[in-house]
Amino acid sequence: MLEDYFRQYALIGIFAAVAVLVPTGMLLASYLASLARIRPTRPRPPNWRESPPPYLRTYESGLQPIGGPWRRINIRYYAFGLLFVIFDIETIFLYPWAVEYGVLSARFGIFAFIEALIFIGILAIGWAYAWRKRAMEWT
Amino acid sequence: MGAHDLWLLSPQLAMAALACTALVVDLATGRSKLVLWLSLIGLVIPAALSIALWAANPADTLVFFGAASVDRFSLFFTLLFTGVAAAVIVSAEKYASRFQEQRGEFVGLILASTTGMMLLASANELITIYVSLELTALPVAALLAFLREDRSAEAGMKFLILSGVSSALLLYGLVFIFGFTGTTRLDEIFARIGDLQASGGFDSTVPFGSYGLLLGIALAISGFAFKLAAAPFQMWVPDAYEGGPTPVVAFLSVASKAAGFAVVLRILYSAFGSPELAVEWSALFAVLAVVTMTLGNLMALPQKNVKRLLGYSTISQAGFMLIGLAAVSANTSAGSLVAGPQSVVFYLAGYAFTNLAVFLGVIAITNRTNDNTIAGFAGMGRRAPVTALLLAIGLISLLGLPPTVGFMSKIFVFNAAVNSGLAWLALAGVLNSVISAYYYLRVIRAMYMEAPTSDERITLDPSLGVATGIAAFGAVLFGVAPWFLLRAAEIAVRSLSGVAGS
Repeated sequence: MLEDYFRQYALIGIFAAVAVLVPTGMLLASYLASLARIRPTRPRPPNWRESPPPYLRTYESGLQPIGGPWRRINIRYYAFGLLFVIFDIETIFLYPWAVEYGVLSARFGIFAFIEALIFIGILAIGWAYAWRKRAMEWT
Repeated sequence: MGAHDLWLLSPQLAMAALACTALVVDLATGRSKLVLWLSLIGLVIPAALSIALWAANPADTLVFFGAASVDRFSLFFTLLFTGVAAAVIVSAEKYASRFQEQRGEFVGLILASTTGMMLLASANELITIYVSLELTALPVAALLAFLREDRSAEAGMKFLILSGVSSALLLYGLVFIFGFTGTTRLDEIFARIGDLQASGGFDSTVPFGSYGLLLGIALAISGFAFKLAAAPFQMWVPDAYEGGPTPVVAFLSVASKAAGFAVVLRILYSAFGSPELAVEWSALFAVLAVVTMTLGNLMALPQKNVKRLLGYSTISQAGFMLIGLAAVSANTSAGSLVAGPQSVVFYLAGYAFTNLAVFLGVIAITNRTNDNTIAGFAGMGRRAPVTALLLAIGLISLLGLPPTVGFMSKIFVFNAAVNSGLAWLALAGVLNSVISAYYYLRVIRAMYMEAPTSDERITLDPSLGVATGIAAFGAVLFGVAPWFLLRAAEIAVRSLSGVAGS
């Protein structure tokens, strides 16, 4: 039984080794290719930090990045983050409820429906609270 | 599942509904006084439902497939939490002016945390225990930071981070217990451990019979020790008590601790109540008890701030309660099976009255003086005679002198310890009571023997006065005639599975 137990950890070990080797292998292969002059190099012009050539720019979903990555983030995003969590949790719990609703209603009748309504109601109070406290207004 | 479950869980549901109502009324009207009095009246509903359920005493106490068990043990605590919540809300009537715009949320968060505690006292399943514990702790973290000062923010932050750490420890422990037994329900864990013991699956050379269970129980107890303010997990207490708003600190000190002990009692007896295991955790709690009360007492001696002093006092009181956890009958053949847990439950109820009298008295005085140092209480015997008297009664009860409930609590706890063969533990408790006399009497001395710093009289607000009076009256009443409360504690403990059964 103990051997079985360690064999399971061996599987995790193999998985971890593959997970580390694949990306490092790719980077290493790319580096070796540049040494062998198969891959084009990316020269850094003297002022590359101020006006980077396109191939050195941060890739941001195909958009031009605005500002540096180290600027401060406005504290108001925190409230938005919390609001997002409200709806996120709602989705997480309502989705399985909706999928299994047939089974639930067959077993528990109207309870299954009312319980979800109560759950939504509690989240709605949180949402109404945020609205009332002007968490959704930017200024 | 059905109407029966809802009826059993009705005190908790009513409290949750009340918390939501308080928030909605505050949002709709913005009148914090209205919210305060409305929720105070509303608290009658969960209290009445708890009493009705206690009287009805249904045979089937399991709710929602065994997730919770609404027995008389949980109803005892449900009623206790409702009372504490009422006292805390009353005490904040004047104090809440310091909360600026958040006055309505104060009530809502207290009620939300109380809901968590009520669920915690009835939780019969590991995941329910964890979720209720989070519901208990998170509102308190927000409430501690309500004063918008550096100290208050520090208190809230410390509490939040340390309760996160303790939750992680607890979860890890619960995972081991689940992994070992294959179930999250406490009664099933009990049965599973019994099967393993019968089939020889336990190794008698290892504590708790198995390393998995040892790690699980040790980690879970460490997680709960944060909530109980037991050593060596007591570091957050003084800072949180000093910085946080006093009504919140009173709530934390009384209700949160009672909830922690309720869930620990239930887990220990319902899941790990077999005699072989009880001997092991009894020894663990005996050591924790000595360390906790000695550490709390010694650290309290040099304190100059009353709130900080009460923080250390809370730690040492937790130590006394842990003696009752260590007193299990498995150590001896003669001892009564219920004496240990019964003494803890009695202690918690008495402590609620006592500590509320102290905290409400402190709130009544500091509302006007805004001075939390012991020196600031000088001459209060003359400036605020009634408040000082009620506060002194509370302090004497904390110290454990007759005719107060603190004396009776300690008698019962020590008695349970001696009867289960832990006389040395009772002796350590008595010595610690003597040490604690120094700092409790120092506050009384300041109030009665020192010259007042000003001649201004401090009048007692009617609502706060009534609440403080009830608390102090309870502390004296149950000290003179403890039989009613003792009987209630016994009935409560006997309904706990694992105590009466074996």
